[in-house]
Amino acid sequence: MGIILKFNKKLVSRIKELREEQNISQQDLAKSVGVSRQTIYYLERGSSNPSLTLSLDISKHLNKPIEEIFYYEPVIKDLIDNIKLGDIKEIADEIGIGYNKILKLSDIDDEQLSKMYTEEELTKVSEGLGEEFHKLFLKNEE
Amino acid sequence: MNYKKEEKEEHFIHKDFRKKILLKVNTILIPIFVLLTLFFIAIAYEGLETRDRGPPGGSPIEDIVGVPELLFWLLLFVVIIPYLVLMIILSVSLSMYIRNFSFEVLENNIVINHGVITKAKATIPFIQIQNINVVSGIFDRLFKLYTVKIETAARSRSGSSPSIIKFNPEGHIPGLKEPNIIEDKINERMKKFSHFPSELEDKLFKPEELAFDNFISYILSKMHEGKELKTNIKELRDKINMSSAQLAEKVGVPIQTIKYLEEGRYNPSLSLAYKIARVLNCKVEDLFQLA
Repeated sequence: MGIILKFNKKLVSRIKELREEQNISQQDLAKSVGVSRQTIYYLERGSSNPSLTLSLDISKHLNKPIEEIFYYEPVIKDLIDNIKLGDIKEIADEIGIGYNKILKLSDIDDEQLSKMYTEEELTKVSEGLGEEFHKLFLKNEE
Repeated sequence: MNYKKEEKEEHFIHKDFRKKILLKVNTILIPIFVLLTLFFIAIAYEGLETRDRGPPGGSPIEDIVGVPELLFWLLLFVVIIPYLVLMIILSVSLSMYIRNFSFEVLENNIVINHGVITKAKATIPFIQIQNINVVSGIFDRLFKLYTVKIETAARSRSGSSPSIIKFNPEGHIPGLKEPNIIEDKINERMKKFSHFPSELEDKLFKPEELAFDNFISYILSKMHEGKELKTNIKELRDKINMSSAQLAEKVGVPIQTIKYLEEGRYNPSLSLAYKIARVLNCKVEDLFQLA
């Protein structure tokens, strides 16, 4: 009986990045795939789950395979990447977990997570980041 | 069952409701009357005993005859007749209550007519219904009866605190043999007040993350209906000997979703496509192509 810890993941898109690379505006992309500009905006923000035909259309217009445009990423990665290093230091002192150990959470995979961290530590990290545990991590008992 | 055709049909309480109430009243009344009878018998015998030991001047034979007779009349007038009268009144009023109680489920509300002497008509709009309770007590169960209680959120009339909302059981329908009829009818009508298409409902209210995906993808698929989506889920599935039911279970969607997908009638959300690709161990592009 062990506990398997996993990252809670969300669908993120690289539309904005790829679009800017190829000098396409939101408006142009929206027009060529036949949706409103808002739809593209929401897709770029990652707050909506597109239909498959729309995703395939976008991948055709951006000339990239779909897996390179849309992919799953741990929720915590976005959080840690957008926080100031100084703030992470403060959180680290507050919860008593090493600074590097928190930063590392943004670039490891599920397998390493279970090996390197305990549930207790992750609970503390979630508290420190002001998020609920189940929003950042999944817990499977086996 | 064709509920749709009986749009304005009235429903009545089942006759067993009377039996149930009579039985319920009897379980309280009979012990009382039995106790009363025992009480009188006890007094009578005590009277007999004191008479026996009483002054020698009296005539004992007369007393011994008189006491049982008195006891008989007492029991008749104080116990048996009141009991019968009570039962007859109760039985008649219950029959009248049953005859005068009816309800019908209309388009927007449920109407309950009741009252023997004072006629009352209660109309409960569906929008106000908070929940429907189906209750079956011990006596109900003996006759397989159910009581349906329709709770509505009514504002308290005290006025001092208008924000407090009380839950009042306003619609109280006792003595039903098939409570499902009313429940189904109400549910059927309630669907009209929700703006989601009925075929989506089971997906919408599933407590899964995919519920919302399905909803979004439904809307988006409606927008993209002109486009054709080609898929080879079936081929890939057959290659690893997996049934559509197994795939549905692994992905966590209803089996219909998989069937619609394979027929090319359903435009999945991207996250659903990823889930299927992961289960079938291939790329999304291998699974789906724009026609």
